Amino acid sequence: MSASPDLLDPVDTLIRDHLRERAQATLKRRQFVSGLMTFLCWTAIAIAAVPLIMILFELFKKGLPYVTSWAFYTQLPQQPTLFDQSHLGGISNSLIGSLAIIGYSCLVAVPLGIGIGIYMAENDTKPAQIMRTVIATMVGAPSILMGLFAFGFIVEQLHVGFSILAGSFALGVMMLPVLASATELAVRNVPPTLREAGLALGAKPSTTSLKIVLPAAITGIVTGCILAISRAVGETAPVLLVIGGTVSAITYLPSQPGNALPYQIYQDVISNYDSQKNQSWGIALFLVIVIFILSLSARIWAARKQKVRR
Amino acid sequence: MADTSTKSVTASAEHYATTLPEGRNRPSGSVRGPYEWTLIALSVIFGLVSFWFVGTILFKSIPAFKQQGFYLLVGNAWNPTDGTTPSQYGALSMIIGTVETSLIAIVLAGVVGMGTSLAINFLLPARLRTFVATIVELLAAVPSVVYGIWGVLVLAPWVASTFGPWLTALPGGATIFGVSLAGKSLLLAGIVLAVMILPTFVAISREVIGAVPAELIEASLSLGATRWQTLWRTVIPTSRIGLFGATTLALGRAFGETIAVALVAGGVVQMNFHPLAQGTSLASFIAGQWGEAEGSDQVPALYALGVFLMLFSLAFSLIANRLVAKQRKAAAL
Amino acid sequence: MTDTQSGPMGAGVSIAHGMVDPEVEDPRLGPTAMSLRDVSVTFNGRTAVRDVTFDVPANKVTALIGPSGSGKTTLLRSLNRLHDLTKGARVSGQILLGDTDIYNGGIPTTVLRSRIGMVFQRPNPFPTMSIYDNVVSGLRFNGVKKKAILDEAAESALNAAALFDEIKDRMKAHASTLSGGQQQRLCIARALAVEPEVLLMDEPTSALDPISTKKIEELMVDLKKRVTIIIVTHNMQQAARASDVTAFLLMGEDGAGEQIEVDATLKLFSQPSDPRTLDYIQGRFG
Repeated sequence: MSASPDLLDPVDTLIRDHLRERAQATLKRRQFVSGLMTFLCWTAIAIAAVPLIMILFELFKKGLPYVTSWAFYTQLPQQPTLFDQSHLGGISNSLIGSLAIIGYSCLVAVPLGIGIGIYMAENDTKPAQIMRTVIATMVGAPSILMGLFAFGFIVEQLHVGFSILAGSFALGVMMLPVLASATELAVRNVPPTLREAGLALGAKPSTTSLKIVLPAAITGIVTGCILAISRAVGETAPVLLVIGGTVSAITYLPSQPGNALPYQIYQDVISNYDSQKNQSWGIALFLVIVIFILSLSARIWAARKQKVRR
Repeated sequence: MADTSTKSVTASAEHYATTLPEGRNRPSGSVRGPYEWTLIALSVIFGLVSFWFVGTILFKSIPAFKQQGFYLLVGNAWNPTDGTTPSQYGALSMIIGTVETSLIAIVLAGVVGMGTSLAINFLLPARLRTFVATIVELLAAVPSVVYGIWGVLVLAPWVASTFGPWLTALPGGATIFGVSLAGKSLLLAGIVLAVMILPTFVAISREVIGAVPAELIEASLSLGATRWQTLWRTVIPTSRIGLFGATTLALGRAFGETIAVALVAGGVVQMNFHPLAQGTSLASFIAGQWGEAEGSDQVPALYALGVFLMLFSLAFSLIANRLVAKQRKAAAL
Repeated sequence: MTDTQSGPMGAGVSIAHGMVDPEVEDPRLGPTAMSLRDVSVTFNGRTAVRDVTFDVPANKVTALIGPSGSGKTTLLRSLNRLHDLTKGARVSGQILLGDTDIYNGGIPTTVLRSRIGMVFQRPNPFPTMSIYDNVVSGLRFNGVKKKAILDEAAESALNAAALFDEIKDRMKAHASTLSGGQQQRLCIARALAVEPEVLLMDEPTSALDPISTKKIEELMVDLKKRVTIIIVTHNMQQAARASDVTAFLLMGEDGAGEQIEVDATLKLFSQPSDPRTLDYIQGRFG
C-alpha cells in the first residue's frame, strides 16, 4: 500500500476502510446490475429495430411493384368489382391533388410562417411572447383539429364546399406553427455580433435584418420549410374531413373537390377487396420515398451550406 | 443549458418550446418602416387565424352541448337517430380509449426508447451512431398512416389468426384474454402508436443524452461508478429536462393520432376497456364517423369531441411548459 | 483494448534521470505510489505517447509538464484507464499502483478508479446534485449507505479541500451556486471523499482566476499527507511552486509524446540535464 496509513487522519482511515469494504462487498452486485442493464439496452435497441425493419420490409416488398410501374402514376383509380379485382388503375388524381394541395398551402403558409417567425425572433414584447405560447401549443395540437377548423370555416362558413382549397387551408394551418418556430430558431441562432456589425455600419435595422441576418439564417428556414412540407404531405386526418375525394377525374383547382395520396391510402385500406388493400402499400411506399428524399436533401443541403460558411 | 445546446435539423421545430436560445431585442426606439409593418401585419393575421380556429371549433359544437348537456362528457353511448327519437352522444368511451391507448404507447415507447437512446450513445461504435441517428430521424418523418396500414394489414390479421388463438389456448387464457381476439383492439392500437412515436422519442432523447458533457461521465467513472451507475445517476438526471420534452412530445403525438388508431382500435363504442377489447379514441372516432355524420346532428357532437381533444392538448401543453420552466429554474439556481 | 506487453520488472529498476545534486534531498527516495514502465498510448495505431518510464513517489506532488501536443493529458488519462472509453485506444507497457498492474492485474476498473481519483480541467460538479450529494456521490457509487459515514466523509473531504467553512451552511444548495474556484475545490473534495491513494489532476487551474489558482496550489501542498498527486500543467511556475518531482515530455518527430527528463523539481528547474529541458523552461518553445 502506497499512502502510508500513518500519514492519514484516523477518521479518514476509518472511512477508507469502510468504503473499501463496502466497495468490495457490493462489487459483484454492481457489476451484475451494470451488465444486466447493458444487456437490456441492447435488447431495447433490438426490440425497437424489429417492428421498424418489419414495416420497411413489408413496405418495399408489397409496394415496389406499384412504384416501379409507369401506369401507377398516369391512370385514374378504378373501383375493383367482385368479378374483376385486378384492374385498380393508378393514383394520377391523388398525385396531382396532393401537389395542388401542398402547393396552395405553401403559397400562403410559407410567407406567413416565416414572417411571424422573424417577428417573434426580433421582438420580445408581450404579443410576441403570447404568440410563442400559442405556436408551441399549435405545434403539438392534433392534426384532426385543423380538419375541423377547415370544415367549419371553408366548407361551411364560406360555402366553398368539400374542396382542394379546404384541404390546403387545413394543411396550411398545420404547417404555420412548424414554419414559424423553425424560422424563429434559425434567426435567433444567427450570432448577435453579425447583427451588431450591420447596425454599427449605420444600416437601418430593417436593412440589417433583410440583408445580413436573414441570409445567415436561410439554411434553418429552408430546412424548416422542407420539414413542414414533408409532414403535411403524409398528413391524412385533416384532408380526410374536407377534400371530398374524387376518383373519376383529375382535379386541381381550389374550388374543386379533390383527392390526395394519404386520402387514397385510407380509402384503399378500408376497402373490402384485398387487391385494393394491397395497393395502399404502393402509395405508402411512394409517399415514404418522397419524404425520405425531401428530408435527406434538406439535410445534405444544410450540411454543405454550413461547410461553405466555415 | 448544456443539455439543450445542440440542435438538429429535424428535431429543432419539435422541441421548440424547450430549446429557445436567449432572446435578443432589436435596438429600442427604432422607427417602424414597411418591413416592420409587414411583420406586424402578418402577426395580426396569425392572431386572427388562431382566434378563429378556436372560435370555429367551439361555435360548431354548441348545438351538441345544448342538446346533450353533461351527458356529452360522462355518457357512454353514441346513438345517432333519424330524428324521431332523441340521439345520444356521450364521449366517455372515447376519452378513456384515448387515455388508455396513449398510456400504453408512451410506457412501451418510453422504456424501449430510453434503452435505445442509451445504447445508441454508449454502446454503438461511433461510426454507426451517426448512421443510426439519421435512420431514426427519417423514420420519425414517416406518415402515421403507414404505421396504420402495417397495423391493420399485417399485425391485426396475425393476432386474429395466430397469436390470439395461441393466447386463448393457454391454460386459463380463454378467461383472461378471451374478451375479443378479432385482431383489432385497444392494446394493438397502443402498440402501433408505440412503434409510431418511438422514432420521435428516440430522435430527441438520443440527442439530449448525447449532449451530456463527457467530463461529467468521466467524473462519475473516476469515482468508481459502474457504467450503469454513471448512466442512471449522472447521464439521465442531467438530461432529464430534455427527456421530459421528448416524452411529452411523443405522448402528444400518440393521443392526437387519428388514422393509425382508426384503423386498428376497432372503432367500437363500448364500456369495456380491457386492453384486448375493441375501442376507439377521440381523434379516430371523429374521422371514422365523419362520412356518415354529414348533415346530421352528429356533426356538432363530433365537434364537441374536437373541443375535448383541444382542451386535452391545451392542458397538456401548458402543464408541460410549466414543468419544464420549473425544472429549468431549479437547475439554474 | 488492454495490452499484454510487460516491461522490465523488478523493484530496483533505476530510471533515467540526471545526476542527483547532493545538496538537494531527492524526493523520490521514499516509497513509490505508482510506477510506469515503457508506457505507450496509441489511438488507432497512431502513437500519442511513447515509452514513458518513471516512478511516482508516494505523498508527493509529481508534475507532468511540456508544450501542448506532448501527450501529458493522454498519459495522465491512461493512469486511471479513462482511455478504456475511447474506441481504438491502446495502452501498452506496464503501470503499477503499489504492486498491482492496473491493466493486467485483474483489478476491476471501478475499484481501480476509486483508488485513483481525478480532477478535470474545467470544474465539473454534477449539475443536478446538491453540494453535499456531489461530495458523497463517490461513496454512494461504491455502496456506502450509512448516513454517519457519509456525513463524516463529506466534512473531512470538504475540510481537506478548504471548502467546508465557506459552504457548511448551504450543503443542500445546488453545486452551480458556487463560484468557479469553489466548484473546482468541490470537485477535489468529491475525489478525496473516496479516499483515493493517488489523485490525478488535469490542468486543474486552467479555467480559474489567479486567486483561485493560488488557493488550489496551496491546497496541493496540504493534501500531500493524504494522497499522492500527479498533476498535468502547462504552467511552469505552477510546477516549480507546487511539485516535488517533474516529468518533462516533448513531442517527438512523429508526433508522439516522449519523456525527456524526470527529476526532482528543484533540480530539473535549476540544472536540467537535457538541453531541450533548458530550452523549454527558459521559454524558447511551446
